Amino acid sequence: MAAPLKIDYAFNAEDLESSAKIVKFTILKKHREPDAAQEHELASFEETMLPHMDAAHNLARWLLRNEQDAQDVVQEAYLRAFKSFSGFHGSNGRAWLLTIVRNTSYTFLKKNQAVDFTTFDEEIHVAADEFASPATILEHGEDAELIREAMDALPAEFREILALRHQEGLSYKEIAEIAQIPPGTVMSRLARARGKLKEYLAARIGKEK
Amino acid sequence: MNCEEAAKLMDGYLDGELDPITSQTIEQHLLECPKCDQAYKIHGSLIRAIGNATPYYKAPAELRERIQSSLRDEIADLPTRNVAQDTQALFPRREPRPRAILWETSWNWLALAAAIIFAAIIAFTFVPRLQRPGADQFLATQLIASHVRSLMANHLTDVASSDQHTVKPWLDTKLDFAPPVVDLSSEGFPLIGGRLDYLDNRPVAALVYQRRKHFINLFIWPGETGAARPTMAMSHEGYQLLHWADPDFNYWAVSDANANDLQTFKQQFEAQTSHH
Repeated sequence: MAAPLKIDYAFNAEDLESSAKIVKFTILKKHREPDAAQEHELASFEETMLPHMDAAHNLARWLLRNEQDAQDVVQEAYLRAFKSFSGFHGSNGRAWLLTIVRNTSYTFLKKNQAVDFTTFDEEIHVAADEFASPATILEHGEDAELIREAMDALPAEFREILALRHQEGLSYKEIAEIAQIPPGTVMSRLARARGKLKEYLAARIGKEK
Repeated sequence: MNCEEAAKLMDGYLDGELDPITSQTIEQHLLECPKCDQAYKIHGSLIRAIGNATPYYKAPAELRERIQSSLRDEIADLPTRNVAQDTQALFPRREPRPRAILWETSWNWLALAAAIIFAAIIAFTFVPRLQRPGADQFLATQLIASHVRSLMANHLTDVASSDQHTVKPWLDTKLDFAPPVVDLSSEGFPLIGGRLDYLDNRPVAALVYQRRKHFINLFIWPGETGAARPTMAMSHEGYQLLHWADPDFNYWAVSDANANDLQTFKQQFEAQTSHH
């Protein structure tokens, strides 16, 4: 179902490209080198924001679950960030950039109708006795691949909050800003995300037994 | 605290995001409730496992080049885009730009507005922390501020009494620890009263003594067990600070009395408390 939309998107992109070509052809003579002020702004932007590229890529990668999409989104996010950079006067460049990466990722997910954050299968269909006990789950705690799979299976809003907390080590306050939710919601959403992860692990480990 | 509340606060506690008072209440509950204690331990292991087991996807090297080159294109394109809009006006029959562009523009403005508000909040929250001096210096500043405020705002004491047997029970009911309280009138430091304060991220007891025309605030809170620290005297912004610790408590005396008076005060206070 995602395929036709992808084509639609590609068609739009091509359209833009062709009109851009016409424009460039018309005004070729007027093309000029970027001036010193622009160069300076770009240098300052790169100095502030490029160090956060790993954080940006990691968040996008978890949200999109696909390397190529993640790179496209990060590139797009950097462009958007650069355009709004004159409005950035804060000290937390990482949180600012991650907000943009997050929004760009969701725009991308919506465009591709891959909005999975409302369609998560709330019921994992496993018989009660197939669920592993918490102790068994912990024995599998070392099983990195299983935990990665479990996290990948969660809805976007849960993948996002787990990545921000566990991988970026951000505070609840920063998470609230980036995910654009009230600070009071961060704890309950994290609790739900971890609970779902635990459920998924319990179901998977229970089945393997 | 009951089990239901403890369960609700579990993630906040394990992430170290609760205020110290709530955290202490939880710890108290866990001591009394093996069931909750077990649940906390298991959830704690899961939280650590998530952190350890999930991969951190670092950006590949070529992404950096891609981004840098697209940014270079962006600034090189800026002037041409302006001209492009002019060109469009000259040829009104040209196809209108796709709606997506309009939509993206408004998105950018929203993002810009959100980013400005966000940046301001972050700046106000974090900049003061970055300027934090050494821990003791920072605490000293807090202590002096509290001392000055107590003299300024007509809020020297919450319980005004020269009777240690009035002050001590009052403090004991308000705090989760029982600070030593002694009257030192015969030593020239009459007890004026007691007060609650909030320092170093925790509630503390403040005892107020008088030395001639000067007041001494003695701040007391539990220290790390058995960690007796050497006495430390500091002078800061014209105030004298004297810090010592015994196996149970941290003490900070703050006053505008002179340093010798403060030393005498400490000796008398220690002599009296050791009798109790």
